[in-house]
Amino acid sequence: MTKVDYEYIGARIRGMKSRLLERKELEALGAKMDINSFVDELENTPYRQDLEDASVKYIGLACVEDALRRNLSKTFRLILSFVKGEDAETLINIFLNKWDIQNIKTILRGKNIQEVPEEIAESLAPAGALSDATLTEMIKQPDVKAVIDLLATWGIEYSRPLTQHFKEFSETRDLVVLEYALDKFYYNHALDAVAGDSYDEGIIRGIVRTEIDVTNIKNVLRIIRDKVELEDPQYYFISGGKELNVDKLSALSKARTMDGVTKQLAGTSYAFLAQLPDQYITAEKISPFEKELDKFLLQKALSLFSGDPLSLALVIGYLWAKLNEITNIRIIAMCKSEYVPEKEVMEELVFV
Amino acid sequence: MLDWSIAIGAGIAFGLGALGTGIAQARIGAAGAGVIAEKPELFGLALVFVALPETLVILGFVVAAIILFVLPTM
Repeated sequence: MTKVDYEYIGARIRGMKSRLLERKELEALGAKMDINSFVDELENTPYRQDLEDASVKYIGLACVEDALRRNLSKTFRLILSFVKGEDAETLINIFLNKWDIQNIKTILRGKNIQEVPEEIAESLAPAGALSDATLTEMIKQPDVKAVIDLLATWGIEYSRPLTQHFKEFSETRDLVVLEYALDKFYYNHALDAVAGDSYDEGIIRGIVRTEIDVTNIKNVLRIIRDKVELEDPQYYFISGGKELNVDKLSALSKARTMDGVTKQLAGTSYAFLAQLPDQYITAEKISPFEKELDKFLLQKALSLFSGDPLSLALVIGYLWAKLNEITNIRIIAMCKSEYVPEKEVMEELVFV
Repeated sequence: MLDWSIAIGAGIAFGLGALGTGIAQARIGAAGAGVIAEKPELFGLALVFVALPETLVILGFVVAAIILFVLPTM
């Protein structure tokens, strides 16, 4: 690996972290009556410039969404500018590619149900390495096949797993086929990129492997909720998880109930799922489980702030913290535009 | 007649101090540049931190001076 100027990167990231919104600032945003007073309050934060730029084209919720997208993309560009030309750039791109996968999935879902392009564009995450122009062009395509063909024509690597599994998809019309293929491609690709022994590769590998566990547990929960019969566990689960291998996961999905899953997870880092209120477990409602798992992953990522200061740990920790902030602001903005009560808004936010 | 061992000793004392200062200042300077890029109001503080390792080379200089001027008279 080439020499990375960690002292400079670390100082900048710490400075940027100090400007992240604190809990009380998010609470003040959540306490606003409507979207307009929310925007007024948001103008007192570092998002002011982005809101001003976005307000030229949009108003209300669309303005907030655009401002957040601008802010996040500006932040990513800024961070990549510190590490430009370094191997560290490759490692940060692993994180960004996760959002590309999510955006491609969103577009494919939209195209599969013939959603209007504007609706799809609004559902995209404001992050990732794919440019806005690429995403816009993908949204313009008439169907799933055309989106995959476009990716292949432009030589974007995600077209490979999609093309390989397209025949299967066209037979079943089940989009899960393409989604699993994308997930597997991304995680295998990410693990290959961080196979080395360096500290930086180690921390990113740790996060990616935890993410694989979390994704697999979510899949187990969905399998149980939808009562899916497992023929080939390899097909549903991604290998390479930190604590749960494919055999353990297929044993988990044979538990048949949420209660059975939480009991089998005792002794792993995911034992906290058993602490959830009984009504969620008996009702087989998976969203509270997913939220707890996401929170766990976020805590893991944010713990990197106390990692080696002369490594990429700070950058990765900051990227997660920033994305969580953006997600929280987005949730508040959406709730405010629908006049959701403050208490319910606060319950939706993730603080760690 | 010049005692070469004294001159070499003084050179090592000063040279190693300067080398240590250089290494420390390179790293603190990079971090300081990062701090100033994010928070220009901390320029003064960053400058103090960049200057702190100068003490190493000053100590090296004092030791070199002692070796050169005090030691031969003892």
